Amino acid sequence: MSENEYMPDLTVEGEPLAIREPPKVLVPIEVLEGESISESLVEFLAPAEVVLLGYHVLPDQTSTEQASLQFEDRARSAIDEIATAFRELGGEVETRVAFTHDRDATVDRVAADAAATAVLLPNPVGDVEEVVVPIRGAIDGDRLADLVATLLVGRGGSVTLWGLDIDEFDTQAAVDRVRETLTGRGLAAERIRTEVTDVDSPVRAVVDRSGEFDVIVMGEGGPGLLSSLFGDPSERVAEGAVAPVLVVRDR
Amino acid sequence: MGTTNEAGGTNRTGETPESASATVEDGSASVTEEGSELERSIGLVGGLSIGIGTMIGAGIFVFPGLAAGRAGPAAAGSFAIGAVIALLVALPASELATAMPKSGGGYYYISRALGTLPGAVVGISIWLGLVFATAFYLVSFGNYAAALLSEGGVNLAGLPIVDALALVFGVALTALNLVGTENAAKLQNYVVGLLLTILVLFLSYGSLDVLGVFGTESTPEQFMPFGPMPMFTTAALVFTSYLGFAQVATVAGDIKNPGRNLPLAMVGSVLTVAVLYVATIFVATSAFGSGPLAGFGETAIVEVARAFFGDAGALAILLGGLLATVSSANASILSTSRAVFAVSKDALLPTVASRVNLQYGTPHVALSMAGGPVLVLIALGEVEVLAEVASFLHLIMYGLMCVALIVMRRDEPEWYDPDFRVPAHRLVAGVGALASFGLIAFMQRESQIVGVAIMLGAAGWYKYYAADVKLKGVL
Repeated sequence: MSENEYMPDLTVEGEPLAIREPPKVLVPIEVLEGESISESLVEFLAPAEVVLLGYHVLPDQTSTEQASLQFEDRARSAIDEIATAFRELGGEVETRVAFTHDRDATVDRVAADAAATAVLLPNPVGDVEEVVVPIRGAIDGDRLADLVATLLVGRGGSVTLWGLDIDEFDTQAAVDRVRETLTGRGLAAERIRTEVTDVDSPVRAVVDRSGEFDVIVMGEGGPGLLSSLFGDPSERVAEGAVAPVLVVRDR
Repeated sequence: MGTTNEAGGTNRTGETPESASATVEDGSASVTEEGSELERSIGLVGGLSIGIGTMIGAGIFVFPGLAAGRAGPAAAGSFAIGAVIALLVALPASELATAMPKSGGGYYYISRALGTLPGAVVGISIWLGLVFATAFYLVSFGNYAAALLSEGGVNLAGLPIVDALALVFGVALTALNLVGTENAAKLQNYVVGLLLTILVLFLSYGSLDVLGVFGTESTPEQFMPFGPMPMFTTAALVFTSYLGFAQVATVAGDIKNPGRNLPLAMVGSVLTVAVLYVATIFVATSAFGSGPLAGFGETAIVEVARAFFGDAGALAILLGGLLATVSSANASILSTSRAVFAVSKDALLPTVASRVNLQYGTPHVALSMAGGPVLVLIALGEVEVLAEVASFLHLIMYGLMCVALIVMRRDEPEWYDPDFRVPAHRLVAGVGALASFGLIAFMQRESQIVGVAIMLGAAGWYKYYAADVKLKGVL
């Protein structure tokens, strides 16, 4: 990844940028398993464009077509009900229904197809006040800032930019850049806190502190040996954490 | 071709064919009429492992002794003939599958190209054919499990241990499929991978040995001790070992990039198993001569392995036999349930047969219609005849698939747009059809009678239950 991709140009001819593209959040819901999304999360996500993906995972012995014949209508009405909740709060919602043998493949495909900025990994949450953005290494500051600013500008609450210091990377600089980008997008400076911590395992550090925050916003983390063994860092965070995770997708 | 684009008509209980026809959107998902997305999640490896996994059970672990007894070393020729016929059918099947990547495979193409009656006959008889094949695989499994037990010093002589083991495992497989949410396809991949490793090591060593690279070169016996005719009749018997490539097409609706992966999986799996089969017969007949080999019966290959590697080799091959028969039986149960689904979706069977259980997400009725009769057949015995009946029914389907290709190419409905086109299709499909029907002529009279009776029964069911259903020319 070249430096420019995560060290965004903050200005065009010295002027701060407004939000460049309306962020789109993909919300996958295992709809026939009775999974839903809490009202507070609906309210938090409403400023963004939302793509609601109602999916149903089938064992290999069942053809997706077979299941769709029988469950399509039920899945549709369940996902439409959730979409209504978003629309009542003025949100823009697109709904999709998918039958699959492989949840991750479906979520990845739909995210790419819909050009989603971020994917929600749901966990229960109360009112959203505190957002944390763990920053460890390369991150697409522009898209992240677009997302966080869109979600927070019109409401209360604060964001913590938390640099997780692993060697060979200037974490403080990265945190400062994201902070500047966020203020450039119109988020008041006093609502942004920053800190940098030395950690051994970023994933464990985020999981351990997840109780202090209501929503975690983080980058995908890219492929690597650990990812292929244990899954993406963001997925491991979502499994361990008590807060929902918004994963900003790599492009 | 029909004048309408909709499948039409009602069956005896007033059900109509479901027209939730999914159109392929891109390589990784298709979209239903209502706009739901159906993820395609089986890749090339998965497709190959379904094809190879279904086929390899019989050819290596069941037939070498039987076939060598009938044809001598020319049994290798029988397997080669089988492979050529399988390829001549696999190519037309591939073209049809890329044009219509739907669950149901052969039944689907035949009902759309040739009409509802041939479709119903094929659909219903393939259901039974798969049931027979599964029973046959499970009895083979019982043979291997019993051999493994006696190898381990457990003496159960006098007990009907083979059938008992086959029954127990049949129940276990059906139950597993009914409630299992584990990733069965991944498991199948590992089973087939392990099996291929064992076989390639064993056959490489065996080939080098009998060719005299090390050890002493074996004196080849006469290639056709019984003349050329048994080579052809034996080809009819061992064709059961190739009844698997079309199973790839039954899961066509779930295959990623069907235009590329379906033909590759079908043709690739036929070629892979053909090489292994011919090598197996070559090694086995060279090591022992066909007489003693025939005497070993269904576990002949185990004795071959023992001759090369001692008891450890015998154990490894027994383990391979267990893996192979399990993967064949499992893959067949799965395709049976897809076949039942495809037929009942078109209202040729009560649609209750394609119900999916929400709790487990499995098609419990269709799976029971696969597993239940299998158990009955095992309990009744007679699976060897049934294996040939299974071949008979599959060959009918293969022949009709070839005819379906020729008809489709002649009529070319608007939607017919295969990604893969068979070169010289009239020749390939024509010879494929002739060969498929020709093999039937070499079968035992008993199998032919049972096979025809089943087809007549299926036709009778169609006349009684669904004579008004129109499927021809509809996507």
